[in-house]
Amino acid sequence: MPDTMIGQSPIRIDGRAKVTGAARYPSDVVVPNPAWAFLVTSAIALGRITAIEEAEARAVPGVLEILTHRNMRGTVRDAGFFAAGGYAAETIRPLEDDRIWHDGQIVAMVLADSFEAAREAAFRLRVDYAAVTPAAGFGSASATTEPAAKARQGHEDPQVGDADAAFAAAPVKIEADYATPTQHHNPIELFTTTALWEGGKLVIHEPSQYVTGIRHGVATQLGLDPQQVRVESHYVGGAFGSKGSLTQRTALVAIAARRLGRPVKLVPTRDQGFTIATYRAETRQHVKLAADRDGKLQALVHEGTEVTSRPDPYKVAGTQTTARMYDCPNVRTKVTLLHADRNTPGFMRSPPEVPYMFALESAVDELAVALKLDPIELRRRNDSKKEPIKGLPWSSRGLMRCYEAGAEAFGWSRRNPEPRSMREGDWLIGWGCASTIYPTHIGAATARVTLTPDGQARVQTAAHDIGTGAYTVIAQAAAEMLGLPLEKVQVALGDSDLPPAPVAGGSNTTASVCNVVAEACGQIRARLARAAVEDGPLKGRDPASLKLVSGELRAADGTAEALPEAMSRAANGAIEAYAEYLPQGMPKESMRKLYSGKQALGGGIAEGPLAMAAFGAEFVEVRVHARTAEVRVPRVLGAFAAGRIVNPRTARSQLMGGLIWGIGSALHEETEIDHGRARYVNDNILEYLIPVNADAPKVEVMLLEETDTGVNPLGIKGLGELGNVGTNAAIANAVFHATGRRARELPIRIESLL
Amino acid sequence: MTTQPTPGVVGRRSLLGSGAVSAAAPLLAVAPAAAQPTPILKETAVLDLVLRVNGQEHRLALDPRVTLLDALREELGLTGAKKGCDQGQCGACTVLLDGRRVLSCLTLAARAAGGAVTTIEGLATEDGGLHPMQQAFLDHDAFQCGYCTPGQIMSAIGCVQEGHAGTPDEIREAMSGNLCRCAAYPNIVAAIEQAKPQMAGRRTERG
Repeated sequence: MPDTMIGQSPIRIDGRAKVTGAARYPSDVVVPNPAWAFLVTSAIALGRITAIEEAEARAVPGVLEILTHRNMRGTVRDAGFFAAGGYAAETIRPLEDDRIWHDGQIVAMVLADSFEAAREAAFRLRVDYAAVTPAAGFGSASATTEPAAKARQGHEDPQVGDADAAFAAAPVKIEADYATPTQHHNPIELFTTTALWEGGKLVIHEPSQYVTGIRHGVATQLGLDPQQVRVESHYVGGAFGSKGSLTQRTALVAIAARRLGRPVKLVPTRDQGFTIATYRAETRQHVKLAADRDGKLQALVHEGTEVTSRPDPYKVAGTQTTARMYDCPNVRTKVTLLHADRNTPGFMRSPPEVPYMFALESAVDELAVALKLDPIELRRRNDSKKEPIKGLPWSSRGLMRCYEAGAEAFGWSRRNPEPRSMREGDWLIGWGCASTIYPTHIGAATARVTLTPDGQARVQTAAHDIGTGAYTVIAQAAAEMLGLPLEKVQVALGDSDLPPAPVAGGSNTTASVCNVVAEACGQIRARLARAAVEDGPLKGRDPASLKLVSGELRAADGTAEALPEAMSRAANGAIEAYAEYLPQGMPKESMRKLYSGKQALGGGIAEGPLAMAAFGAEFVEVRVHARTAEVRVPRVLGAFAAGRIVNPRTARSQLMGGLIWGIGSALHEETEIDHGRARYVNDNILEYLIPVNADAPKVEVMLLEETDTGVNPLGIKGLGELGNVGTNAAIANAVFHATGRRARELPIRIESLL
Repeated sequence: MTTQPTPGVVGRRSLLGSGAVSAAAPLLAVAPAAAQPTPILKETAVLDLVLRVNGQEHRLALDPRVTLLDALREELGLTGAKKGCDQGQCGACTVLLDGRRVLSCLTLAARAAGGAVTTIEGLATEDGGLHPMQQAFLDHDAFQCGYCTPGQIMSAIGCVQEGHAGTPDEIREAMSGNLCRCAAYPNIVAAIEQAKPQMAGRRTERG
């Protein structure tokens, strides 16, 4: 057994359950005698319900009940917008009244003895509407705009110096508009919910990135004590941000189960998932970038406008990152929200960075062309030890090391910078690169660790494994701190009855949870050590000097006591520790927020005292067909510096998946909208194109060593959202290199290049 | 890149082609009644049938509209096969029917009666030994969230048995009906390449 588990690459501890079908996702929970729910969603985007004709639906054998605003008004209380101290992804109260705010809004829930009967009755429910012409988004006459600084308390648009004057005076400059589309997460597990009441306690099985948040949100909506609500989500079949906040369906299923007095199971359809959950908002961005003749940046102006819903001020606001990416003395940014008759957007993997870094990293490439400078060299000349807005020092910044290692491995020096200069038969070859950054977030977290006399450890925390490998890396952290083999550690996650942990968002889980688990294990070690120095082979030693290694408590000179003896000296049975971890620099109220299910992450690049982020350099080769303009991506390489890597195997998978997400973002993914009706058109995964196996290229992931003791005690940076930032720009830059055509609107399609 | 549909492969790339002929009947059966009013049946019809799954026979009384996927999951408690779209687009529900890949969400349970169904739960031996494809998926970290994994593994076994795993490109094409939103695709291809020689002379179709 290695002395250290952190940094090893064991196979996922939940892997066997996943390859045998034994893993029970929330959608798989079998409950006795369930009633089945089927949603009816609105066929218009704006207006009112004028009539609901239920007779035909109720005549379907097996139908039990139909919930509409007529029998639900006043039932579900307001849970508040998650970004304003509440819990909900969208503040429209479910089935509250006859008003339609967006396409696909839940207007009824049909309950029946079988799935088939509920579905048939849902199709037979007639809903009549008085429709009003909606605003679909950009270009819609009735859309309204407001600055994010006005819409969102605490929002500041980063700025420094005088960007407009510096831009006017600079000798080399570019100015361009960029556009990014609506994208939907489309996790493969649907947005299901099963609810049952056990005595006075409500149990909810729902794939979730935040079981504690759902518990408190539903308790608020139903007027329950949070202790009466339990949310379980032991596995999550993909989330990517879509399962982080409370959506309308959960309370409805809970209420249905209470009214019927039996468990209720809801399996929404794939297309309903496009409107009953969130999505990545489309953006329009304007960038001005200027440098002196040596390529030293002089000015950056980055303005973005983003779609949100009528009632909710969701913001993407990636200017928080782009303003700080490079050393630039004059920066001005602004974010504006555009309210349209749409469902409320939300977090989608690297929410701010994917759209906004596309614009910045495209603009940097355009500036490099204008300067006749290699794009990597341009970035090197504007690398910095401090972020430029507040002058916060980076805790570590591996960007240029990533470029150096990546360029070497990719063969960048063989690139002829001239567009259209590399060709193989009918295929134009383009090589492009771009930077990635993801702020290192961290949150207050709690955990309970129990060491039993047989040398088994049990870790309990209400964190989540959404496919990231959390079960495994948390077990590795505990195994390392307790000196146990990995197979002696059990990890329980995804249950709101466990000690609370943060939302699985902002790539914080590994850092937050491994640190709190380490703290709990440290308490156990301390208790064992205090007892061991009283008597036995370690008598009289300094307890602080004793370590748990390879199944024994060991002094620096090798004198040791085996764990069973040390255990019996310290306790009659198990030793249990409950730890609360409040990351350095976070306010004390963060812990209280955690216990009440609020989202309160800290760290990152804007708050200080340090600017903390993971970095990377991404390289892609594209092939663009000279006659048809078809774009293919045969290879992608990413070099990343992301602090201490707990498990290189799962880290590589995360980054590889992220890079392929980046390809989807650049070339495939767009939710098409009927602009007249504000309805999604391609709301299924046949026509919403996510990458398939044949789209996935050769992917190379390089993990650079990085020691950063400034971020947190274990030196961990999150990386789940690092891989898919910048990839879209690297591809656009490669397409420019291949064709001489600059694509500033995503996704890049054949018609963009004709 | 070939765009020729691979015979026998179902899913996104071939849904509109010949690969999804079997989809026609179930789609008609669940077509929204509102689109063309049809009379409501006063009583729910019940279909008695025997499903042979993983070598065991199960006598079931089912609503004729029940899909093979729902019968497996809700009647038999075999929740390994997943519902990701319920319309034949994602491949998460893939099982083997008489040794061939089928989308169980587009297959009525009645259609599977008399055949031999193999699900992910039927792959490991009774003493817990994993099928070479399961082991290969573990070895290559060929999944992240794991939700599409049972469908990927069943499809991968079908892909090898059908002789569509000759080259990595052929595997990519033949596996493109199984969506993995975590995008573990390169690792899935590597896993299939590892398992393929270990599967020689072995055929999974016991029902």
